Amino acid sequence: MIDRRLFRSEGKLSPAQLEWPSVREAIKEAMQEEMRRDPGVFQMGEDIAWASPFGVTAGLVKEFGPERIRDTPCSEVAVLGAAIGSALGGMRAIMELQFGDFMSVAIDQLTHQAAMLRYLTGGQVRVPIVIRLPCGGWQGAGSQHSQSMYSWFAHAPGIKVVLPATAMDAKGLMKSAIRDDNPVLFFEHKALYRTRWPVTDEYKDKDFLIPFGKSAVRREGKDITVVATLVMVHYALEAASRLEEEKISLEVVDPRTLVPLDKESILGSVRKTGRLLVVDEAYLPCGIQSEIIALVSENNYRDLKAAPRRLGNPGVPVPFEPSLEEVVLPTTEKIVNAARAMMRS
Amino acid sequence: MLDKDLKLAMMRKMLLIRHLEKAWGDAYLNGEIEGIPPALSTGQEAVSVGACMALEDGDFVFTTHRGQAPQVAMGLDPKKILAELYCRRTGYNKGKSYHVTDFSRGVIGMGGIVAGQVPVAGGMALAHKLKGTDRVSLCFFGDGASNEGALHETANLAAIWSLPLILLCENNGYCISLPVSREINTAHISDRAVGYGMAGEWVDGNDPIAVYETVSRAVKTARSGNGPSFIEAITARLSGHLVHDPQRYRPRDEIEAAWEQCPIKGFGNRLKNEGLITAEGIAKMEAEVLGEVEAAVRFAKESPPPEPEEAFEDLWA
Repeated sequence: MIDRRLFRSEGKLSPAQLEWPSVREAIKEAMQEEMRRDPGVFQMGEDIAWASPFGVTAGLVKEFGPERIRDTPCSEVAVLGAAIGSALGGMRAIMELQFGDFMSVAIDQLTHQAAMLRYLTGGQVRVPIVIRLPCGGWQGAGSQHSQSMYSWFAHAPGIKVVLPATAMDAKGLMKSAIRDDNPVLFFEHKALYRTRWPVTDEYKDKDFLIPFGKSAVRREGKDITVVATLVMVHYALEAASRLEEEKISLEVVDPRTLVPLDKESILGSVRKTGRLLVVDEAYLPCGIQSEIIALVSENNYRDLKAAPRRLGNPGVPVPFEPSLEEVVLPTTEKIVNAARAMMRS
Repeated sequence: MLDKDLKLAMMRKMLLIRHLEKAWGDAYLNGEIEGIPPALSTGQEAVSVGACMALEDGDFVFTTHRGQAPQVAMGLDPKKILAELYCRRTGYNKGKSYHVTDFSRGVIGMGGIVAGQVPVAGGMALAHKLKGTDRVSLCFFGDGASNEGALHETANLAAIWSLPLILLCENNGYCISLPVSREINTAHISDRAVGYGMAGEWVDGNDPIAVYETVSRAVKTARSGNGPSFIEAITARLSGHLVHDPQRYRPRDEIEAAWEQCPIKGFGNRLKNEGLITAEGIAKMEAEVLGEVEAAVRFAKESPPPEPEEAFEDLWA
């Protein structure tokens, strides 16, 4: 269901497989369409022109040239600053971080400069930038290449945080991100890049935009609301199928953006189910899981039939060794067990 | 040769910076304003005046935490500068920041994080280049910021991409309490330009004409597509790091000697020697400037503070 061998060749795909776009292709198509539409959009990143690390930008340099598909040295601070400054100057930069974890190298430019400049100048400037962050575990990529760091940035004011779980979402959210006038972090799960998803006709529309702050209910259910993002959406759906025969019904809500957060849909779902389980690869301490539980506890306390629960990395570096990744990160099995325990309590 | 009008305009701007900042500093010392104390550019006026007067409309400057000198030098309105520093909603940033910005005049105030403005200034230069204009981006930073990675990364990027960026290091001798001799092991900070592969030179930062001419050359290079320059303007900080700083870390005779080199005194004498202005002329100019500053202080004091709901405005575009 998810791809745990991203560093290996994908092999030959059957025509049936190729019928659906992958998340990687969806992101690329969105960027390509927006670059054709708006000459102010350009991209920067390490190796993006000629050796696209995960293939997202592969081939774009042939269409747009090296000025707009701009290879950079390993200088995350200067390149992010270049994105911000060019945005002040009227451009729209998309910056790829080879691994999203590298955001930590340039955190000042993000949280203090990009995110605060508009506020500090009393609204005089706009900072329309998109930072693409390949994230998440399941590749044996090691602790500094496997994190899901969105809680860090959802915590800071002034940054939009986007988490696409399907090809449809990847395209519609990326197009919205590029047209947004604020700094946007676009987290791309490495285990989803090559996964393929059915799309509707809308997908081909040049103005197909998915608005931020609108969650997707991936599956309706009545017993437990499971809030999940990225890979965990798919694990939660798998858990929901498994629990069907035990007559436990999961409702899977994918917020799709953490900032802004579609609070109403989460609250509405818990109002119906009376139970909340939040599943994410993010570290648990002060993580996004806690934020969603706080939201429900503050607003829906009387609706709760059981104590809310959260699954996530309990607070160790994501291990390099693949079987230990499964120990630390949430899995379908862990979601199933947590759901059962919540129904017993 | 620079004409008389330009030189007199330089003198006037230097006086305006000195007196506007003095008013700001006094407002803090008198308890009229609270919060983080003023960072004055006293003694460094010639750097900003020389550099900013070498620019044209459409060019951008990025300022440091010690940013009032370039604001005034770029022609910003003293009323709205002081209103900002008094945290009033009539200020340039609606009272939201110490780092005065006027986007329409190409002044971006940054500086809460040392060297944080440098990469962004590089980005503005990239925008100029991508848009095919001949405008430039000039970034002020101090000797302290010259040791930040952000500067080194940006200098390298600007060099490989041949960006129209002028990196203007104001070496005022001190990084808060740390003398330059203890923070840098080269004779000149501008020596580092060689390592980035760009033109670099140092200039007497107390001489506005020398700064003007040096920056003008760098601007010409940038406008003609020949890339960035690194300029070190050597000057001296005559005030404390912030206005309440008693500078116990600094020998008294050194401060006294620095006052002897005061750029305003020096430039005034030069203009008198050149016969461009008399002592009375300078006194008259200074009186006009004081009047302008008084009006600005009055405007700031009479302006209202922000409304409570404004704390939640201007975060999102």
